Amino acid sequence: MARSQRDISVSEFFAKNRHLLGFDNPRKALLTTVKEAVDNSLDACEEAGIVPEIWVHIEHIKKDRYKVGIQDNGPGIVKKKIPLIFGKLLYGSKFHRLRMSRGQQGIGISAAGMYGMLTTGKPVKILSKTSVRKPAHYYEVQINTQTNHPDILKDIEIKPGESGRKQLEKHGIEWVNYYEPHEEGAKQGEVRSGTRVTIELEAKYQRGRGSVDEYLYQTAVANPHVTLHYIDAEDNETTYYRSTDELPHEPKEIKPHPYGVELGRLMTMMKASQEPTVSSFLTNSFSRVSPAIARKVCEKANLSTRSTLKKIGRDQADAMYHAIQETKISNPTTDCVVPIGEELILSGLYQVVPGEFYAAATRPPNVYRGNPFQIEVGLAYGADAPVQRITEELLKQLLEETDTRTLRQFLIHTFNGLGSESADKIIKAAEIGTRVSPGKLKPKDIKRLLDAMQNVNIAEGQTMNVLRYANRVPLQFKPTDCAITQSIMQTNWRSYGLTQSRGSLPNGPVTVMVHIASVWVPYTSESKEAVASYPQIQKELRLALQSVGRKLGMYLRKRLKVKQQGDRRNVFLRYLGEVAKAVSDINDADQSKLYDQLVEVAKRRTSDADVKLDKHGRPVDDEELELGENVLIVDPAEMEEELLSMVGAEVTEE
Amino acid sequence: MAKKKTQRKAPSASNDKVKLSARDKRTIGELKGLADSVVAAATRKRDPYLDIPSRTLSNVRFNKSKRIIEMGRGTNRRQLFDLSQAKAYMRTMLVAKGCNQLILQGKNSSIRGLYYALKGKIKPTNEHTFDEQSDCDPMIEDLEVLINGLREELHLFAEKKGDMVGNVVLNDNGDEIDCSRMGSGGYGIPSIVEPEVIQFDRKKTTAKFVLHVEKGTVWQRFNEDKFWREHNCILTHGGGQPSRGVRRLLNRLHNELKLPIYCVLDNDPWGYYIYSVIKQGSINLAYESRRMAVPGAKFLGLRAGDFERCGLSDSVQIAMNDHDRKRARQIAKYPWFEHKKPWQKEIQKMLDNDFKLEVEALISRDISYVTETYVPERLASPKDWLD
Repeated sequence: MARSQRDISVSEFFAKNRHLLGFDNPRKALLTTVKEAVDNSLDACEEAGIVPEIWVHIEHIKKDRYKVGIQDNGPGIVKKKIPLIFGKLLYGSKFHRLRMSRGQQGIGISAAGMYGMLTTGKPVKILSKTSVRKPAHYYEVQINTQTNHPDILKDIEIKPGESGRKQLEKHGIEWVNYYEPHEEGAKQGEVRSGTRVTIELEAKYQRGRGSVDEYLYQTAVANPHVTLHYIDAEDNETTYYRSTDELPHEPKEIKPHPYGVELGRLMTMMKASQEPTVSSFLTNSFSRVSPAIARKVCEKANLSTRSTLKKIGRDQADAMYHAIQETKISNPTTDCVVPIGEELILSGLYQVVPGEFYAAATRPPNVYRGNPFQIEVGLAYGADAPVQRITEELLKQLLEETDTRTLRQFLIHTFNGLGSESADKIIKAAEIGTRVSPGKLKPKDIKRLLDAMQNVNIAEGQTMNVLRYANRVPLQFKPTDCAITQSIMQTNWRSYGLTQSRGSLPNGPVTVMVHIASVWVPYTSESKEAVASYPQIQKELRLALQSVGRKLGMYLRKRLKVKQQGDRRNVFLRYLGEVAKAVSDINDADQSKLYDQLVEVAKRRTSDADVKLDKHGRPVDDEELELGENVLIVDPAEMEEELLSMVGAEVTEE
Repeated sequence: MAKKKTQRKAPSASNDKVKLSARDKRTIGELKGLADSVVAAATRKRDPYLDIPSRTLSNVRFNKSKRIIEMGRGTNRRQLFDLSQAKAYMRTMLVAKGCNQLILQGKNSSIRGLYYALKGKIKPTNEHTFDEQSDCDPMIEDLEVLINGLREELHLFAEKKGDMVGNVVLNDNGDEIDCSRMGSGGYGIPSIVEPEVIQFDRKKTTAKFVLHVEKGTVWQRFNEDKFWREHNCILTHGGGQPSRGVRRLLNRLHNELKLPIYCVLDNDPWGYYIYSVIKQGSINLAYESRRMAVPGAKFLGLRAGDFERCGLSDSVQIAMNDHDRKRARQIAKYPWFEHKKPWQKEIQKMLDNDFKLEVEALISRDISYVTETYVPERLASPKDWLD
């Protein structure tokens, strides 16, 4: 027994437990791979102050084999570090610091490489270029799962300039050399630096919910400064262009806050610290600890501020830990979290989600367990369901790709926000049996289905579409585990004019985007799919949701009122013609003149009547629809033009 | 469209030929007044409205000296720019237009005919001006009270209802009618029985009283047994609640020929109310009471006590339901019944019985019991009649 006891390598552990990293099935593996690479690229670009441009290329090799290439225009990686970054698990720059970034642990991309290697036996190929003038480096790396160390299979130095390009061609290395010209005839800009990682893996390419397509689309919403070029497995090219050239503010790195440090961590930090005294340790290792506060902590822990750090024992450390919890320490500085901002949320939503009403709210930063975080919420109302935007070709493809057994399941699982009720409605309208296999539909049936999908009114049965983001990264899985979804469900949307059954998402043509920005996003698992529910986070989520909810409620009430007014007017207008005709028949009055006069009275009457009272019987002043800042109303009828002037964001009509 | 065109042409074409009577002129003047008020309101940017005398219990008064129901001064305002009234307003104006046309054309129309003439789609929508005749009829009554005119002045008439037979001779639109020679069918009482249409021949009329029964079936029994010949009377029925024509005719027979009116009706709340309408006038048409009510009418039967007095079998009882009881108490509270002790006793007796009796119940004794025994007995004891 004792003989078989031995070390377990991290790589071995994760190779066996790949679902912990988001590689549970071939379809998700593809997504996770793309996602990790894109997240890393975006982090790298933003840190280096480069406006990101990213190329994603998915290539179908054979049956269940795909090649994924992701290139960025980031700073590139120094030669020495390349094998480690891509060939060693838990190697990274982000784990040991507190700074808002997309990646955190340094598992992602190397895990993707490991997964590729395990399923196809192919190494990870990396080309990295740090400058136009310096040579670039091409590596083929494999992870040694037993030692968690990279094995370098190939190492080629690529010369800068034209000769290098020839070299790339010779070795068959993929690399995008030039930016796509922004204008016709403009000079092609050279991609001066960047990294391209290519991984071959067993995967499955499928559109719909939880797909690569969806991830990239959602990324584009939350990252308006990114240009994304995407070639999918069927050679369709999609490009999401950036709508701003401004990079988000660079988040500052912070020291840990004393409240967020557990006893064990405190002891480790004490051991590692070079500081001579307890006081200097506290002031220099933590944020928001001044000498005065350090003295208070020491007093409470019965320690001298000048005690030598190395001599602090376990019991004293314990006393110090408790003293820290009891001492009042101000919250960490919050300039370390960078929100997207209400304006950019509005414009991001407006560009991607069609609708008539948009609202956004960014909460002030708050702190959980000593980690600063900030919640933002954007809301779009009146959007068509994804079902209604679909094209015939795409529908055909989706039907071919799906692995669901029945048409009903297909509809529910492929399209966001489509409840079972609406699915039934669509199927009924299309006059197709519920249990028909989606792969066996005849072209005629597909046409009917498409027709039904586009025309059946599912606005009522439609559930709210929720887009979740953590540090600008879309979260696509485990919605029910996530604090964001839970907070939305717990919010009472009925008071904001939506229908909602207890403990579930509200119904209606609504898209809500929620972003949590933090130096350390508390995920429920390593695959980064759901945000854990800390009370502070829940509270901020609730307040942010309520803030946009209130605005939506005001808008909907106003809209209802306008509609009622319109209805009233219509009732009158309908009868006025008959009245005018009857009167002119009797006394030969001028019928059209009388009609016009009556219409005028009707208009005056209806506007009067509506100003008088709202549904609570309180007098209403129309001008006082104060929705505050950061609301966008798109109304084809110019009825509410005055509201547009209140829009905070600058939005250009397409 | 074609239909509308012909409608519009017709009045102008026939206008010259039709000679308007003084009454027609007055009616047209009233209708014009209505239309002018709309134009006047519209020019002043006010909402047009109609103050319609209200035809409800709260707005009727029992005139004790005349012993008839009269309409009060209460009015309901009907506004064009009120969501719940807009359609009714439009309908009222449509009816006014329709009647105006009828008068100009010199034609009479049934109320159903008018309903069809006015029925149509409101242009951009699929909504109909009138969905059913019951939408149109109250508008006609509204218009009557509005212009203080009668239905016949609007050139409208209802379907005829009720028959008459007996020793009376009259002239109907130029034809002499001897009601003692009408066979088994009787003379159908027209909707309009105004002196312009019907004149009684006093010399040839010998009848001493009028016996009004509730329904055609009972009337048939009396006619077959030639009850009117034996008792020298006139026999009428109104087919349930008597129409205005029947009531007007009873009124004229009573006032012009000085004939007493005796009623034989079912012993149930509805029978009581039929008697009430004949005697005092109806709540809905209170404005016509003066022309129609017969305050001197008497109620002969059936009485609540007749079940025991005539020894009827249990099988003829009809159980009362809650609705009947409620209605009975309601009737007892009407001011014109409230202070009549015999009536209060009668209604109480019926409530105590807790069953209703139809006139046909007497047939259980003998087929001709009602004509040969019951009514002659009742006629012979005037002190038992209810007033």
